[in-house]
Amino acid sequence: MYRKQVRRRRAVLVLLVIVSLVLLSSHFSEGSSGPLHGIQRGLATILGPIEEGADRALKPARDLVNWFDETFEARGRNDELEAEVQDLRERVTAADAATKENEQLRQQLDLGPGGGIAGREAVTGRVIGRSPTVWYSTVTIDVGSSSDVAVDDPVITGDGLVGRITDTTAGTAQVTLITDHRSAVSATVVPSGPTGVIKPELGDPDVLLLDFIENDRQVREGETVVTAGWTSGRLASVFPYGIPLGRVSEATAGEQETFDLVHVEPFADVRELDFVEVLTEPGGDGAQNGGSQ
Amino acid sequence: MIVTPKILGRLALIILVAVVLQVAFFSKITILGTSPNILPVIAVCLGLLGGAVVGAVCGFAMGFLLDSALLQTLGVSSLVLLAAGYLAGRYREGFDISNPLVPLALAGGLTLLSAGGFALVQLMLGVESPVSLMALRELFLQSVYGAVLMIPAYPLMRRVLRAALVEEPPRGRIPIPFRTA
Repeated sequence: MYRKQVRRRRAVLVLLVIVSLVLLSSHFSEGSSGPLHGIQRGLATILGPIEEGADRALKPARDLVNWFDETFEARGRNDELEAEVQDLRERVTAADAATKENEQLRQQLDLGPGGGIAGREAVTGRVIGRSPTVWYSTVTIDVGSSSDVAVDDPVITGDGLVGRITDTTAGTAQVTLITDHRSAVSATVVPSGPTGVIKPELGDPDVLLLDFIENDRQVREGETVVTAGWTSGRLASVFPYGIPLGRVSEATAGEQETFDLVHVEPFADVRELDFVEVLTEPGGDGAQNGGSQ
Repeated sequence: MIVTPKILGRLALIILVAVVLQVAFFSKITILGTSPNILPVIAVCLGLLGGAVVGAVCGFAMGFLLDSALLQTLGVSSLVLLAAGYLAGRYREGFDISNPLVPLALAGGLTLLSAGGFALVQLMLGVESPVSLMALRELFLQSVYGAVLMIPAYPLMRRVLRAALVEEPPRGRIPIPFRTA
């Protein structure tokens, strides 16, 4: 009797491990239109409204817990923010002058005021789910293909870029965050100008790494990093030019020369996302922009 | 555990509620910069109450549902959570849980194992970016939160599944072996 139980237990374990491995490898090998992805989207479509309802119902409890955490954290950040305000005052003065100059140049070139994200329509989405891993990789939002959200659309908050759409159902979409290990965003430092690729440092959502492709000038701490928004023939970056990414937080000459990288503190906090905006292309059919970022 | 259709329904409901709570609540709160994970804790509870088979099957189902809800790679969470449920069940089948701290220690340890296992599977699937030491802090804190969450979760699960538990005598009654005249 006992031996039979042991055999049954082992058989169940082996079966479940095999099924998990088969699911894993099949999910990787099949295309996004494969049967497993279809089943997954079907389940996600069913679970979407339940998650959304739970998200709304549990908001007061969540806010209460987060309030305690934020209050605790706010005490430590006070000095840091005072120094930042001082720095920002100096920057505003410089920016005012630059804005005037920019307006004059735009008038000369007949460009509109929309800048790099002109021609995109913003669709607001609420974050209804989050991956429970230490990698800060994905979140789920409550808008999907029925709201013209398509794969590769950039996702931003008021602070800056947070990621891009990587999968959609009718009513939900998966956002792969800039802190995910698959993320790589072409970026440029303003005003100094070097370009490179922004990658995450896994496990730490407060740090991004700018890996330079072209760096002939010294980058200084405090400079701003924005999306580069390149185009090359038919291929184009999925992120338009000028979306703020972060501020250079650590830029030693040695690290720049030896490793060709600097540390960047992202503007958007991926741990505190509640609402985001998806920059959709009006009339877009969900086609991918060449897979480049 | 005696798994009747009614108990099966309760287990399915527990799995669904746990996944929805994790995705919509626990993943969105931060304590000291880290979010707790209730799923390994529930897998451990079910393993301790129902044994290795129940723990493994429920862990697998929770992982499958989680990966589907978040449109993640299928199989990763299932593999990790079924291991947590199975190991908890094996512990229950091999040892007596006489010390009330044992479930807490198991929840903390197996939460650490599942979070570490998930990170490891992701690394094996190909990660080009450098890994921060902050990830170790997150793993440690998730483990602590797992142990703390076990304090309310284990008695609650025990209460919900009491009808199916084999060893548990009805509350408030002491069995009398024989009556003397």
